[in-house]
Amino acid sequence: MAELDRRTVLKGVGGAAFVGVSAAALKYGFNTPDQKQNPADRMAKDVSATDKRLVFSNWPEYIDEDDGKYVSTLSQFEKDTGIKVQYTADVNDNNEFFAKVKNQLGSGTSTKRDLFALTDWMAARMIQVGWIQKLDASKVPNLHANIIDSLAKPEWDPKRDYSAPWQSGLTGIAYNKSKAGEIKSFSELISRKDLKGRVSLLTEMRDTMGFMLLIEGADPENFTDAQWQKATDRLAKAKGDGQFRSFTGNDYVQDLASGNVLACEAWSGDIANAGDENLVWIPPEEGIIIWADNMLIPNMATHQDNAEKWINYYYEPEVAAKLANYNSYICPVKGAQEAMEKVNPDNVHNELIFPTEKTLAKTHRFMALDEAQIRTYEKDFSDVTGS
Amino acid sequence: MSQVHETGTATRAPSGPSRDLKLAQLTKEYATFTAVKALDLVVPQGKFFALLGPSGCGKTTTLRMVAGLETPTSGTIHLGDTEITYDKPYKRPVNTVFQNYALFPHLNIAKNVAFGLERRGIKDHKKQVADMLELVELTSQAHKKPTQMSGGQQQRVALARALINQPEVLLLDEPLGALDLKLRRGMQLELKRIQTEVGLTFVHVTHDQEEAMTMADTIAVMNQGVIEQMGAPNELYENPRTTFVANFLGQSNLIAGEIEGRDGDLVKVRVQGAVASIPADRAHSESGKGWLGIRPEKVLIAEAGQPIDAPGDVITGGYVTDVSFVGVSTQYMVKMPWGQELMVFEQNTGARRMLPVGTKVDISWRPEFAFLLDASQDAKAGIEED
Amino acid sequence: MTSTAGVAPANPHETATKAPRGRKLTGYWLILPGALWLLVFFVIPFYSLLAASLFDPKGSPLTGYDMTWHFGNFVDAFDQYKGQIGRSILYAGIATLTCLVVGYVLAYAIAFKAGRWKNLMLVLVIAPFFTSFLLRTLSWKLILADDGWVVSAAQTLHLTNLLNLIGLTSTDDRLLATPFAVIAGLTYNFLPFMVLPLYASLEKVDIRLIEASGDLYASPIRGFFKVTFPLSLPGVVAGTLLTFIPAAGDYVNAQLLGSPNTRMVGNSIQNLFTSQGDYAAAGALSVILMVIIVAAVMLYVRTAGTEELV
Repeated sequence: MAELDRRTVLKGVGGAAFVGVSAAALKYGFNTPDQKQNPADRMAKDVSATDKRLVFSNWPEYIDEDDGKYVSTLSQFEKDTGIKVQYTADVNDNNEFFAKVKNQLGSGTSTKRDLFALTDWMAARMIQVGWIQKLDASKVPNLHANIIDSLAKPEWDPKRDYSAPWQSGLTGIAYNKSKAGEIKSFSELISRKDLKGRVSLLTEMRDTMGFMLLIEGADPENFTDAQWQKATDRLAKAKGDGQFRSFTGNDYVQDLASGNVLACEAWSGDIANAGDENLVWIPPEEGIIIWADNMLIPNMATHQDNAEKWINYYYEPEVAAKLANYNSYICPVKGAQEAMEKVNPDNVHNELIFPTEKTLAKTHRFMALDEAQIRTYEKDFSDVTGS
Repeated sequence: MSQVHETGTATRAPSGPSRDLKLAQLTKEYATFTAVKALDLVVPQGKFFALLGPSGCGKTTTLRMVAGLETPTSGTIHLGDTEITYDKPYKRPVNTVFQNYALFPHLNIAKNVAFGLERRGIKDHKKQVADMLELVELTSQAHKKPTQMSGGQQQRVALARALINQPEVLLLDEPLGALDLKLRRGMQLELKRIQTEVGLTFVHVTHDQEEAMTMADTIAVMNQGVIEQMGAPNELYENPRTTFVANFLGQSNLIAGEIEGRDGDLVKVRVQGAVASIPADRAHSESGKGWLGIRPEKVLIAEAGQPIDAPGDVITGGYVTDVSFVGVSTQYMVKMPWGQELMVFEQNTGARRMLPVGTKVDISWRPEFAFLLDASQDAKAGIEED
Repeated sequence: MTSTAGVAPANPHETATKAPRGRKLTGYWLILPGALWLLVFFVIPFYSLLAASLFDPKGSPLTGYDMTWHFGNFVDAFDQYKGQIGRSILYAGIATLTCLVVGYVLAYAIAFKAGRWKNLMLVLVIAPFFTSFLLRTLSWKLILADDGWVVSAAQTLHLTNLLNLIGLTSTDDRLLATPFAVIAGLTYNFLPFMVLPLYASLEKVDIRLIEASGDLYASPIRGFFKVTFPLSLPGVVAGTLLTFIPAAGDYVNAQLLGSPNTRMVGNSIQNLFTSQGDYAAAGALSVILMVIIVAAVMLYVRTAGTEELV
């Protein structure tokens, strides 16, 4: 009997201990800390002078390359400065790259990168939580002198203290003209019966919802909750009707070319680079979403000076013209259009590289969001696209 | 027959014309060998029939052809006047007790036993199953699974599962092979009792001659696809027609001799200088060389010079080379002057002391117990195979 | 043994009792690697997931998450994603049933009819594993493309009309980006997980039992349902579990072959974790899915009653 009682007691004690330890582990073992940093505290010693290197992470197919006699902008930079550039195309997606560097930046350790390029909203988010080092204005005079007006004062970095656009681009509509009739507006894209089930939209909330807000007559840069609600409802309705084939990231061109998708929301340069004459990109009647990918120096970068030299170099009009000529995205540098005369006269009036004032007047940005708003809007958007 | 429940069975033949199982010219050929060669066989209705032979002799193939599990290459199988040669197994009034019982492991005993009735659409089978379980003395085990039972019990379930269908012919494929010796003896008697009670035709395949002799009314000894000899157990034993039967069914001493010819009801054989007389109905050869056969227990033995209580010829000059005491009897090996060793089994009557190895002995037997076989056969046929 | 050792420590028996104790310890040492593995790769992640499911939903990956025993996450997650949960169970259920029917025929053929081709056929069953899951699913995208021959053949044969009728495709005569494509992808990808356990269990069925059923008046079809099938139940149970569980949690097929209207719960979890960074909802939804699957499996195994077959 005594043995039995003891066993029961032991079991009880053991069970309680297990529950207690589990509860404690759950309560305290897995919380995630606040990731906010103070960039001033996270400045590493600059070794640019002794270690002549620069580590840069950028998006794929975003820079010109040496080709026969042609000397790329990067090679020219290395030649001029003696700095060896480790250029890696490992940014495929803002969220994905964010996940890649989140732990280091959040805990104040080095990402082993000196520079990376992210889209406006992600750049804003990182600057907001103090993960990005301030640029020394005296070392990037070209940036402040030459940046085009439309990109000079974003709400999230009004003086371009932290960021420098690498390239800018437009979001609009692309369609396969051999298979679909002409499309003029985004509202046609989300409602035309002949396109039903053959349309893809982008998973980038700011692009897609930007257009939805425009359809509602709202300003993506300044909209109300009611307008947001109407815009998401309209998107949900179209989705429920089976209008959309998919919500995609970078991979929409393939489906468009193969004919599974007849028309889609698309980025300007992608279609120009695809080299398929049946694929056309148009600015929708409602307006155009404009965005930029921004070079940022993360906390604990050790070659700030070299990074600033790089930024300054790419804000020379001749260099910028060469780069834009290669990748057909909007050039953020004043004077590059004139410089383009020498590089490639055909592209001087290419609207994709040098949009006219008239075009730029139709462009819209998405309003800057704080962390809580990001969560709310991303969630509302995902609830529509993901269900 | 009183045990057979007549309720709702369609397969049971009406009493009337005989429902013997008849195999005619039945042949089964495989790519590389012939398992059964033009077999002719009649199994009388209601008899316990044993098909006895060493492994590979074709007896199981024959059984499976009757069950419908193998298709004959040629020949026919009849039940009475009905031909069933090519009937599907599930359409034959024939059931089988398989060698390893083949009980359904997912069903309990009662459901195993009821399986055949249910397949024939007999829903109300409770009483039949209960009666059958009683017959095989497993009433209390009805809800156990086969794996929870001993080998002997499983064997009885297999029997009950087949018997409950009241087949015209029950086939038993080495049903006792997996049991230990003691259990086997018990089951032999049990099977015989049940067969007598239900009165069905049993065809029992076995390689165990003792088992066949214990149970069967008729035994067919099979070797290499043909039937060597068929008959009642004692008839086969006492008067084998071939060396194979003589050796496979019990043991025999086969002594080489010259047949001198027939003289009335006797056939004279010269064996090692002496002349033996064999009754004509036990002589299966009448000229040339022959094997004179005599069962070991029919041979009488005595110390040299001592009288032997037998009217037959006395052969002298042997000596004992081996003695085995097996309780009821003593088995001697006796080396004869011509070099052959003969087996002699003597009842332990207590009349005389056991003869030690080396003892000089005389032996004798009654001529009417001897048999004569054709010398063209192998004297060792059927010895090694058991 | 142990009490003897306790009573008489100086007893010569002591040496005898020590040896088995040493052997007992060996047992624990052998468990150690597996236990560590489980701790690191199962227990800790499981607790982490459980903790995440109880995070304060107001957190974010940047501002941090606090575990506040916020059980409301479960209610919110279930309420919001019950559609996807139901769809996952439905799609996985249909795929599992299809796998069972197709896989059973295949496994039966391999086990009983393949003869000397048996090993070759088994290799062919697992051959798809030689290429990556993603690649195989992507190639289905090519096969089922709107302008591909499969779609035009299906249209010619009016198969698309049939599928439209039972609601497996949309009304505009295509296969890709429909529930049909998602279920077909799940069926294709998980078929080997059904076939192999079915084969293993059919292979063990004693052919003599099938003969016995024939001998006992069961036609081949009834013999199959009364003997072969019940005996293969362990394989059926293992196969359906191995198919249903991963299929219910899968998101690749819905992602690549489906449309926004065919998203499964795996897509939602993936989206919540990676794009939205909503760890609380993601954790809660994962735990809900896990509980549903465990409950379903327990109910299923109890109903199928395989323990009787062991």
